[in-house]
Amino acid sequence: MNTATSSLTSNADRWLLRACVWLPLAALLLFFALPMLGIGWRSLVQDSDGSLGAGNYAALLNSPGIWRAVGNSLMLGVSVTLLTLLMATVLAYGLERTAMLGKRFISIAMALPVLAPSLVLGLGLIFLLGRGGVLARLLDIRPEIYGFWGLLLANVLYALPEAVLIVRAALRHGDARQYEAAEVMGAGALRQFIDITLPGMTYGLLSAGFVVFTITITDFGNAVVIGGNFPVLATEIYNQVNGQMKFGLGSAVGILLLLPAALSVWIDRVAAHRQGATTLATPPALTPRTVCDKAFLITSLLICGTVYVVIGTVVVASFIELWPYKLAFTLKHYDITISGGYTPLWTSIIVSLLAAVLGTLLLCTLAFGTRRLPGPAAHLANLLSVLPVGVPGLVLGLAYIFTFNSATMPWGVLYGSMVLLALCNYYHYHTQGYVIMMTGMRNISTALEDATAVLGGGTNRVLRDVYLPALRITLLSVAIFLFMRSMVTLAAVIFLVTPSLSLASVTVMRLDEAGLTSEAAAFSTCIMVIVGTMALVLHWVTDRMLTTTSSK
Amino acid sequence: MTLQIKDLHKCFGTQTAIEHIDLSVAGTEFVCLLGPSGCGKTTLLRIIAGLLAADSGSLTLDGKNLASQPASARGFGIVFQSYSLFPQMTVAQNVGYGLSIRRTPASAQHQRVAELLDMVKLNEFSACYPGQLSGGQQQRVAIARALAVNPALLLLDEPLSALDARVRAGLRRELRDVQRRLGIPTLMVTHDQEEAMTMADRIVCMNRGRIEQVGTPRELYLQPRTRFVADFMGQSNLLPAATVKALLPELIASIPADMDLAQAQLCVRPERLRLTTHQQGAGRITDITFLGSIQRLRLHWQGLELLAETSSAMCFTPGEAVNVSLAAQDCAWVSA
Repeated sequence: MNTATSSLTSNADRWLLRACVWLPLAALLLFFALPMLGIGWRSLVQDSDGSLGAGNYAALLNSPGIWRAVGNSLMLGVSVTLLTLLMATVLAYGLERTAMLGKRFISIAMALPVLAPSLVLGLGLIFLLGRGGVLARLLDIRPEIYGFWGLLLANVLYALPEAVLIVRAALRHGDARQYEAAEVMGAGALRQFIDITLPGMTYGLLSAGFVVFTITITDFGNAVVIGGNFPVLATEIYNQVNGQMKFGLGSAVGILLLLPAALSVWIDRVAAHRQGATTLATPPALTPRTVCDKAFLITSLLICGTVYVVIGTVVVASFIELWPYKLAFTLKHYDITISGGYTPLWTSIIVSLLAAVLGTLLLCTLAFGTRRLPGPAAHLANLLSVLPVGVPGLVLGLAYIFTFNSATMPWGVLYGSMVLLALCNYYHYHTQGYVIMMTGMRNISTALEDATAVLGGGTNRVLRDVYLPALRITLLSVAIFLFMRSMVTLAAVIFLVTPSLSLASVTVMRLDEAGLTSEAAAFSTCIMVIVGTMALVLHWVTDRMLTTTSSK
Repeated sequence: MTLQIKDLHKCFGTQTAIEHIDLSVAGTEFVCLLGPSGCGKTTLLRIIAGLLAADSGSLTLDGKNLASQPASARGFGIVFQSYSLFPQMTVAQNVGYGLSIRRTPASAQHQRVAELLDMVKLNEFSACYPGQLSGGQQQRVAIARALAVNPALLLLDEPLSALDARVRAGLRRELRDVQRRLGIPTLMVTHDQEEAMTMADRIVCMNRGRIEQVGTPRELYLQPRTRFVADFMGQSNLLPAATVKALLPELIASIPADMDLAQAQLCVRPERLRLTTHQQGAGRITDITFLGSIQRLRLHWQGLELLAETSSAMCFTPGEAVNVSLAAQDCAWVSA
């Protein structure tokens, strides 16, 4: 409804609005579009002689190591996806459609893997089932945990919360009237599930499947920690670049990694379109069904119990003298001196705060600007904002290094600074933040904007009195989301850290690589405490804000 | 205070929203823009408010050109259907919002807010938040907020449509009283012809982006000039000119000179048909609907299907033969 405000605003307002679109758009171009073009270009600069050509892609075809990694990644991706979808369906159905107990317990379990770098799950599995793992010793087994099976388990546990979230959302849109109609026509519970529930969640499952697949084949942390001799694409790209300095080949693998992710983003958008019809339907009421509820509860508890045990083990092991041989309590693993001690943790906190503040500011102005000043610039910004979610962290990190590790370009000065790390982390999660922001914008009444304008308020008044009050919770959620992700992400920043500027998640990986598993556990625990605290703060503040507004 | 609109046009892409709009609002008038949804009435209101720019045409207030002024500089008041109050501000803060934008001293603000809350009878709610009020109360706050700045023009965009029938009827009267007392020229958009008739001094009936007819409620109802206005303002019997010539030749002389005979129709409101019971009457009653104070009758007359309304005190029965008559001053010629 605001389509024509542009021609009827005062000069100062017009400039303010333009700045709201142009500033975030410029940042998006410089810190996302430019690096991505850079990596595309780089993949065409041949490693052999520095000339332009498809030589790197040809080299890809001829290197058996890469083909093996592709095969492994695909096999792992498909296995993880199938297993995760099955488990996510059980959990989501249990949470949304049965009257089982313990839903809170399950919800908390699903929040845990988000609090830590993904490799914490691999770490936990090693403490349980690895060489000298406590379960392995108890049961006197020697499971092949390093490699495919370890990666399978770790990735399933890591991707599960994401999948449950999507499937739950699909189940939430059920329509009680359909079930009542089926009931009256004599359809049994199974028939109802096959004929109504399943079709309703098809797109949700599809979307979840692609998300899980993408998470799995682009995850770096677990591949390093528990991958053993099972090379996958993520480790391959790292080795090509860091180990063999084959930047061109690394870029080509990176471009390859873009394909499944881009496909998943596209499927997701199609699914969103198809399922877009939000009716005023109420989901079916939850009626207790003893046997069914118990079955769901037991299965869910098994799955969630695993999550608690794996992550809990990491925390416990960090306090144990010599896991699992000498089970005495100690704090000595927290006395970390190598790899810069706790400095990377503080750096991570500062970088994450920076990412949260910068990201929230940019996202807020962008969302405000594109809404108030639609046009080609806003359209371009909207288009670009959808893309970052399709770019795996490793690829973005690599793209950043090509673009910003430059002595000639003016933006080269950012290289090796916390600001660049913060920006990299923010743009890595830009799309998700933008979606949260746009969803929040839906609560803003256009009539109130118009009323403010007619009463004499300019753009600044509209921003202050209409947007900010309505967006308080949204802004906080975006900031904390960016902070939390920035604290734990590893793949994007692994290329950007320098010996003098390291981050917490990288330190965990380095400690583990150095064989200091207990120290890695201790460091991970510190990260989890900080991120968990932020999650609780968000929960608490949102609750308070919601209760105060509803009591008004 | 005179708002003058001349030859206003607005398109959205290839869709023409309004065209050839000429209108003036003066003095203390209450003018209603009436029409079905999509007729362009809201677009016109938004252009007047400054929320939308016209493609061409002129818009002046007391001779001063408004086209280049943004909404915030026009000094109008506006009320929307959806209350649109600031949820984080109290009732008093909401009402005083326009004043605080204008940097009115606090004491003057207080006094003005109290005055207006008095006027809309919401004094004891001044410290409440909008969420604690009913829909009708919220809309009264919105009206007070729009009036607080002494607007040169008050714009109302379907202000009563979200309210339930009883509240709506009460607020119609209240709004009209306040407007009369303050003498602020007012422009209201509505799709409800009953609302327009009860409130407006003048009705602007719009259809497909154009003004069909402007006039008092009485004029629009009794002297519609187009078939659209006749239909929109209530029920009517429409008789083609040829039929009138054959059956009621004495009325054909009243047809306006500029009207095309093939397009012309005679509009007769149902309550203007005079029915008298008569054994040899040419009309036959086919159906009677009792509506309390009145009754609605369907009848066959000279091969035509007619609609009539009489006081329910009159006694008719279905199948009864009646005489039908009508006088020249009770009908109007409309063009299709």
